[in-house]
This record gives sequence, C-alpha cells and structure tokens, in this order.
Amino acid sequence: MPEPTDLTSRFTSRRGLLFGTAAVGAGALLTGCTSNEPKDEPAANDQPAAEDKPGKPVTIGFAGPQADHGWLNAINDNAKSRAKKYSDVTLEITEGSNDTAAQIGQIETLINKKVDVLVVLPADGKALTQVGLKAMRANIPVVNLDRIFNTPQAYRCWIGGDNYGMGLNAGHYIGEKLKGKSNATVIELAGLDNLELTQQRTKGFDDALKNYPNIKKVARQAAEFTVESGQAKMAQLLQAQSKFDALWNHDDDQGVGALRAIEQAGRDDFLMVGGAGALSAFQAIKEDDGVLKATVLYPPTMAASAIDLARALGQGKGVSGMAEFEIPASITLYSAVVDKDNVDQYMSTGFK
Amino acid sequence: MTQHASPPRDSTGKVPSAGAPPVWRGLMARADVRTLSLLGVLAALIVIGGITKPEEFLDTRNLQLVLTQASVIGVVTVGMTFVIISGGIDLSVGAIVALASVWATTVATQEYGFAGILFTAVVVGVGCGLVNGMLIAYGAMVPFIATLAMLASARGLALQITDGKTQIVTIPSVLDLGERDAYVLGIPPLVMVFAVVTVIGWLVLNRTTFGRRTVAVGGNAEAARLAGIDVRRQRLYLYLLSGLCCGIAAFLLIILSGSGQNTNGNLYELDAIAAAIIGGTLLTGGRGTIVGSVLGVLIFTTITNIFALNNLQSDVQQIAKGAIIVAAVLVQRRTASTT
Amino acid sequence: MAPEPPLLSMSGITKSFPGVRALDGVDLDVQAGEVHCLLGQNGAGKSTLIKVLAGAHQPDTGTIHWRGEAVTLRSPIAAMRLGIATIYQELDLVEHLSVAENVHLGHEPTAAGFVVRGKSARASTAGLLKRLGHPEIDPARLVGELSAAQQQIVSMARALSHDVRLIVMDEPSAALDPDEVDNLFRIVGDLTAAGVAVVYISHRLEEIRRIGDRVTVLKDGRAVAGGLPAKTTPTREVVALMTGRNVEYVFPERPVKDAAATGEPLLEVRGLARDGEFEPLDLAVRPGEIVGLAGLVGSGRSEILETIYGARKPTAGQVLVDGRALRPGSVRAAVRAGLGLAPEERKAQALLMLESVTRNVSVSSMSRFSRGGWIDRAAELRAARAATRELSLRPDNPSAPVRTLSGGNQQKAVLARWLLRGCRVLLLDEPTRGVDVGARAELYAVVRRLADEGLAVLLVSSEVPEVLGLADRVLVLREGRVVHTAPARELDEHRVLDLVMEGSPAS
Repeated sequence: MPEPTDLTSRFTSRRGLLFGTAAVGAGALLTGCTSNEPKDEPAANDQPAAEDKPGKPVTIGFAGPQADHGWLNAINDNAKSRAKKYSDVTLEITEGSNDTAAQIGQIETLINKKVDVLVVLPADGKALTQVGLKAMRANIPVVNLDRIFNTPQAYRCWIGGDNYGMGLNAGHYIGEKLKGKSNATVIELAGLDNLELTQQRTKGFDDALKNYPNIKKVARQAAEFTVESGQAKMAQLLQAQSKFDALWNHDDDQGVGALRAIEQAGRDDFLMVGGAGALSAFQAIKEDDGVLKATVLYPPTMAASAIDLARALGQGKGVSGMAEFEIPASITLYSAVVDKDNVDQYMSTGFK
Repeated sequence: MTQHASPPRDSTGKVPSAGAPPVWRGLMARADVRTLSLLGVLAALIVIGGITKPEEFLDTRNLQLVLTQASVIGVVTVGMTFVIISGGIDLSVGAIVALASVWATTVATQEYGFAGILFTAVVVGVGCGLVNGMLIAYGAMVPFIATLAMLASARGLALQITDGKTQIVTIPSVLDLGERDAYVLGIPPLVMVFAVVTVIGWLVLNRTTFGRRTVAVGGNAEAARLAGIDVRRQRLYLYLLSGLCCGIAAFLLIILSGSGQNTNGNLYELDAIAAAIIGGTLLTGGRGTIVGSVLGVLIFTTITNIFALNNLQSDVQQIAKGAIIVAAVLVQRRTASTT
Repeated sequence: MAPEPPLLSMSGITKSFPGVRALDGVDLDVQAGEVHCLLGQNGAGKSTLIKVLAGAHQPDTGTIHWRGEAVTLRSPIAAMRLGIATIYQELDLVEHLSVAENVHLGHEPTAAGFVVRGKSARASTAGLLKRLGHPEIDPARLVGELSAAQQQIVSMARALSHDVRLIVMDEPSAALDPDEVDNLFRIVGDLTAAGVAVVYISHRLEEIRRIGDRVTVLKDGRAVAGGLPAKTTPTREVVALMTGRNVEYVFPERPVKDAAATGEPLLEVRGLARDGEFEPLDLAVRPGEIVGLAGLVGSGRSEILETIYGARKPTAGQVLVDGRALRPGSVRAAVRAGLGLAPEERKAQALLMLESVTRNVSVSSMSRFSRGGWIDRAAELRAARAATRELSLRPDNPSAPVRTLSGGNQQKAVLARWLLRGCRVLLLDEPTRGVDVGARAELYAVVRRLADEGLAVLLVSSEVPEVLGLADRVLVLREGRVVHTAPARELDEHRVLDLVMEGSPAS
C-alpha cells in the first residue's frame, strides 16, 4: 500500500484527469460503460477491461504478500475469481510472503517459467524493484499492484489505490455533512503511524478540512489496523473528547474495534466515516442504526482489474472505453465514498 | 560499610564495600521501598493526568477505562511473572492470545455459545503452554528458543484459521460482558477477572508450595534439584500456568473487542516482560512480586491513557515507554548491586 | 638479596569475603628468573592471592610493588599491561574461537585499526606454539576440539603473546600426563632462563622439588613461611607448615563403643563407579558412624558423594539404604530414602541466596507443613526454628536472608534442612570450606551429635586433620581409587598426606 511521495505528486497531477473522467469509479473507466450492475460473485464489478471474447491463451503469474489482513486476503480472492472467469487465462499464483527475499525468489521462478504477464503486489515496493526490472527485461510485462516500484521502468502498468485521495474524500464528505454547523469538531483514528500511507491519508484529510473553516480537528490517535488497537485507542479518544461531531477512522478492520468501544461507551452523538470498504462496514451503513454513516474505498477489486489489464497486455489489446490502443502506464483508483445511498452497489465488493 | 549481620566469632570485622551485605532489615525495607516507589510513580502520573486533563482524567469512567485496558495484558503479566521468577521467559504469550482468540471465535466454536468460547480459549492457551513446557522441561530446550518457536507457529496457525479475516462474535452473552450494563457496583467484569487472577497469583506465589518451588528453581535450580525438588515438573507447570493466563486473557480480549483476530496480542510478550521488570522481577530469576508486576502494568496503561487524553502521538508514547523501561532497569541494577 | 629490588613484592595483603577472611596479611616476594612455588591446603588462600595478583580481586589492605614501584592492579588488563599473566586452573578460553583467535583475544593484530589480520595472527601463534614445544597444534583449529593438555598450551601461548615478565600457573600439571609434565617443566626452564619469573602452584611436592627455587607456604590466609629453599627443605617440615595449626581444633570425643563393629549398615555402596571419575567402590556406613573420605582435588571425592546422592548417574554399581536399592541417578529417590547432601559448593549447590533462613531450611520438607499445596507458615516457622535452634544457628532470626550469614551458619542452615527432613544418612562434602576456624569446632560437635543420635555420616574433606579428627573410619582416595582403609585412630596426618600427595601422577 505505501507509495513514495515523489510519485504521489505525479499521480496527484494526474488525478485531475481521473477525477473528471472516472468519477463513477475505476471500474467504469475500464469497462467501457456497458453496465454497472454487480453480480453477487465474484466481488468486483465483473465487466472486463478489454473485450470479453476469449482470445489468445494467457498465463498470468501472480505474486502477493502474505494475506494476514482482511484487505490483502480480499486482494487474493479478487485475483483468483477474476482469472477463473476467463477461459483463456491461466493463473500461476504463489504462496504469499512478507519476506522480501522469498518473494523475489517466487517472482524469479515465475520469470523462469516464462509466464506471459506478471501481476505483483510487493511486500515492499522499493525492495522488489530489481526483480520487476528483470522481468521487464525478459520481455514479461509487469502489472504493479498498489505498492509501487522505485522506477516506472520496472512495470508496464501500475494500478493502485489513492491514500491521499481517501483522506481527501473522507474530509470532503464530513465537511459537507457538517456544513452550516458552527464550531464543529472532528477527530481522527489513524492507522499504523509507521506506514507512509497513514501519513498520506491524514494529509488528505487535513487538506480537505481546510475548505471548511467551521470545522476543527481536535484529536488524532493512531491505532495499528487491528481490532484490538482500534478498540483501545477509540476508548481513549472517547474519554478524551466528551463531545465531537464527526470521526474519521482510516481502516474498517480496526473500525470493528472502534465501533465496539463506541458501543461500550454508549455514545451516538456523532457521525463516523470509515475507510477501505469492509463488508461489516457496508452492512452497518446499510442498516443505518449506528454512528457509521459512510466509508471511503480503498478497493481490493484493484486485483481483479490488474488481472484484466494483464490479460489485455497478454493479448495486445487496449482498454475499451478509451481512444488509445495501449493500456495506460498507470491507473490511480478513485476512493469513492460509500454511504446509504449507494451501498447496495458496493455490497458485493466488501471484504471480510 | 555495614557491620556483619551476625557477629562472627572470628575477626572478620568489616566487610569489603563490594557486595557488602546490609542488615536484613535493610532488605525488607527495600522490598517495601520498591513497591512504594512504584506507587509513588503511579501517584505522580495521576497528578500529571489530573493537572493536564482534570475533567477527563479524574473521572470514574476513565478509571474504569484504564483498569479495563489493563486487564488483558495484566492477566498475561501475572503468568509471565511466574515464568520469569523461575528463571525462564515466555516469548509466545502474544501469539498464544492471538491463537486462542481466533480459535475460540470460529463459526464452529461460536455454535457452542458462551461456554464454547471460554472453554476453547482456555484449552488452546493451556495446550500451547503444555507444548512450551514439555519442550523446555523434558526436551531441554532453552526457554527463549522454545517459546520463540511457539510464537512463530501459533501466529501462523492463527493466520491459517482466519485467513487474515476478522471473526466477529455474535453471541450476546459474551458481548454483553463488555458493556456498561454488566458493571457490578461500577466495576467492569474484565477488571474483576483481572483482580481475581492477581489475588490468586499472589496467594499461589506467596502461600503455596508451588510458589516456593518457583522461587527456588529460579533462585538456584541446582540447589533446588539437590534439595529434592522436581525441577523439570515445576518448569512444565509454570509454562502451563502462563498458557492458562493467556487463554483467560484471550477470552477477556474477545469480550473487549467483540471479535477474534490473528493480529491480536501484538507485542504482548514485550509489554508483559517490561511490566514485570519494572515491577522488580529479576530477569535472572529468583525474585519478583505479583504486586510489582501489576503496578508495572497499571503504570504503562496510565501513561498510555494520559498521552491519549492529551492527544500526544504514538511516536512520543513509544519514546516515553522506552525511557521508562531503561530508568526502571537502571534503578533495579542499583538496588541489586547493593544487595 | 640482590641490590636490585624484587620483581614483585606484595606485603600485608588482606582480603575478606562475607563471612570469611581469605587473606590475612600475606607477604610475597618474587625475583626475576625464579620459580616461586605457592603451597597450601584447600582454602589456605592461594586462589585469592593469585586473583589479587592478576587484578581480578582488589585487596582490602596491603601494598604491591612492581620493580620497586608501588602499583595498584585495578583490573586484569592493568596487570597484563605490567607483564603479569595468569594461567588459571579452570581454563578461560573461548571454545568456539580458533587457537589463534584465542591467543590474540583482546589484542588482535589489525590493519587500519580494526580489520583483523588473521594470517599474521596465525603466523605469530604458530611461532609461540613451536616455542612451547607443540608445533602440531594448528592455529586455525577451534579450541573446543583440543585436549585439555593442548588447551593449556594455548593458554600459555596467550600469556606469552604479551610482553610477559611474571607468569602465574595455577596447578598446571593437574590435567597433564607425565610426558606433558616434562614438556611443561622444559618450558618453565626456558622462561626463567629468559628472566621471566614463574609463580607455580601445585599440590605435588615432588614437582616443587624438581623445578622450584623458593617456596612460600600459605595456611588459613597467612604466609606461614616465605622464601624457603624449594630443593632442600625437608618434606616433613613443609607438611608440618601446611598442616600445623595456630588454632587447635577441638574434635568431639568418639563414642567409647566402636560403632563400626555393631549394627547393620544403613548406607551401603556396592561396586559404584563412574567412568573417568572413580573406580568401583564399596563402602558401608552404620548408624552412629562417621566414615571419612580423604583425598585431593581430582581424587573423585565429590563425584562419589554426588553419585551416591543420585545427582550423577553411575556407570555401574548400586546404592542401598537399609538394604533397599535406590533408583540410580535420582535425587528424589535418594531424598525419599533419607539421604541428605551438604554439597561442596554451598552457595551454588545448596542455598537459595536471596531467600530467608526459614525458606532455605524448609525447602526439602514443604509437604510436612502444607495441605493441598497451601503452606501453614506458622508451622513452617516453628519447625524451621526448632531445627536451627538445635544447631545454634546465629543469628537466631528465621527471616534473615541466608546470604547475610557467616559460612559456618550457612552450613548449619543446610544441616538444619536435612535435620527437619528427618534424614538418616548425611553426606558432607567439605563441610568446613569457607568456615572460620573458630566456628569449625562447633560444626564438628554438631556432626558428631547427629551421628550419636543414630545418623550415618559420610564425610569428604581435603583437610586431613578434619577427616582424622572427626571420622571413625577413613578411606584414602587417590585419583578415583581407594588406596587405603583404616580406623581413624590408626592413621596420622603425615601418613595420609604421604598417601595422597606422594609420587608422580602416573604412579
């Protein structure tokens, strides 16, 4: 998930374009706008990036980190189920690993097997740059998923989430909800502070709030993406702030703990926005009987899109719905806000 | 320079300054001083909290909050204290809490309701402790290595069981225990469990043959063996005890967070060891108190609370925690060098 | 005396440890190029003295002059810088490093100040080993793979790798066979010819006669004779100096009736042996009898006691108590059958130093005053106090930490432990080590009284008078073998010392 800052600016400038053309979500950009109706399984919007007709058989090698977190697990599921949909795609999936050396070894094995395209979600983007370069030199196009390599030479196409945009959209959503309320206060339950992405989310959130002079952020505590830490830190925040109007929680996994703490404290006098897009969060939003009113996506469906892109690369096709013949060099997904109004559409993408 | 405690019959006279044994009363007084100094630190923290955030800190709800947050790690620390007093170490406590918490919250287990969750958490904890104990006592493995291996395997198994997914608890009777309605006379059930474990731990350490043997094994394993104590069986029981505490802690964590997750218990081993050391337990074994360890836990929890109430960020919290550990160990070494 | 000041001159050195005065005003002069022997029984203060000389202990009082100048040896490094090297009895080598690395440990030849030049280290080590007559030791081998004798050579090479003027050797021949001893003496000769002084510690009088120039005899922390000629002083005089007492021990009266002649044996040992430690041994101890084992360090005394007690597993033979065989190698079986051991290393093997007297006494009998694991602390205190009072343990304070007690009273705490346990066979290993002279008589009386009350006592001691004065019957041990058995009254100290010390290690 972390994405180097120098590249963030690059994507930020590009964001203008994506904002305009892809407001309905990354899926729409890739699908050629035929239909947006989700099916129940698999999770992602199942419209393919390129033409759906079976084409030349493609072997896609997929290497990801160990799925020790709900979101990463959803990444694997999305990739697998998407590949299964295509009769012309064979997916070579490796054992997930958080060990850089082990992951390098796995990718080298895939290169030696001469897969047609590689999809790589590195445990550590910087550390795996070399093996990305190696694959590209071996004429195996690499789709770099989310955690970005050091240099664009190491991938043919990058697709990933937008941490800054997540914060930005969360801030805008809360800002609009609290519009007209004077001296409104918000608090932030951040993720693991050691990760750059947490800082990016916080920066986006703060930047958005600058547009709303009536709102002041009064407290921020960092949890650790775990239920346990979410509960602990939220309980402290609730004790520290006897009254506030809105809360942004970076991550729906730790949100389970945060909601537990809110319930235990018997508090319901504020609005809560989540992050990432877990199924439990979608369900709570749909039921609308608690503080959680919305969540900002960091969609694991990007893995399904990555499979689509890889298939298109393998078959030499472009993206339908775009004028170019080629797949774009990078695609930043839009962090859509899911609330009661549109939650049904996203329900199937929610991860456990 | 002190005069020898027992007037020697010969001309021993003054003892050299290095390793000078003070009179025994001095030692007793120092044991009290240690507890008193911990209480002093806690009192100072309460003053700091009261000054910086009078309304939020000095509040019944905040007291309930601090004690609740201390309960889970507190129960683990009681078990850890026994292990360290015996001269061992248990690095696997956090992983055992994680494994017990996810095993106890699988869909299959939840079908058996409250009892199923409690039973599974305790059995998994004790089972892991049994493996640790067998490896250390009868497999002659170094505790550091054996429990490090358990740490890795238990975390791996927890991940395998969950696939990294958070397991939500749906049993109302379990969840209700974490709600305010369940407080008895304002005391949260979790805090009651913590208190009971503390009292039992104190009694076992100070009033039973088990406690005596623990101290004997930690103080001098060879002497304990030659005195006729079954050192290996005692070691086995100690790791079982630590596993049991982890199982109980896992159950408390399930109540508190309403879920089981493979990332639970993150770095509990370090927190528990740090609390025990601050409480005056010697890492080399042979000496330690339950009261000291519990005060250590409360000091850490109170610091976290004060920092959060003052909206200080995690980097500052971590730095402060490290500084406190170093300070406590330096003080301890100073006391140790004069004994 | 030469006009030049002696190389080393120590005077009035005292050193006390809690409960015991190890050195009590020792003087020692060493000349350049001489072999100066230190003689003395166990506990006479030899080890403490050489640790002071090596900078490992700081003396309480006294002065040290090095080549005429007053010096303070604050640390082993300070001593090494002056040119004082010590080869300890327990070798202090790092097993997992190579010979060359050990030799140069702490002063590795380096390039640019930190890169270790392994080749040059190996070359200089090879040179030293050759000089020591052992060119066959490969400097690149790991020390752990070498024999004890080779390790000693490595230790010596390490000492010589410094610019050394004085080498202290603590019982260097103990681990060597005769050929190697000859080589050792040749090395000592080479060193002294080069003007290096050697302080040589040994139990073996004949070695001292072969290579020694002068002898200083230590006894009870004092130098009772300094600078005697090593070659000409009669053995009888040396032994008398080593054993002669300035405080007469008062040994309790033996019972008039000869216990050995009456009763069935309470403890019986049949063909007990441990390979490499002691040869098959038979002995029997009857109730009321004290049997003594006399022998030097390395004669297998402690090993025998620990094997009888089950702390070591025998390779052959059995131990019977009251005619019933004990499970071999099980301390718990021995304790259950009524055995109790007061081990040689009291602090390391018997006492819980951080704990009170009461807890140290009660540790083996906890089930006596506990029900379902709960200790009745009042009963415990009563029982422990009764046991310690019976032995007049001072101070009469059951909650005193045992480490604040004097050596004699610590030993009484160990005895009280077994008294409380109701033990019937008492195994005593060096019971008066680290015990002040004055307190010994009291301990002897206690042991005799316990025997009179029907206990069987097996006593091990390297102090011959102790064995002769206390025991009814004596077995003399030499290198794991009983060389003589006799009633104590038929032996005298010189006869026993002759038996244990006489001759070369091979004979």
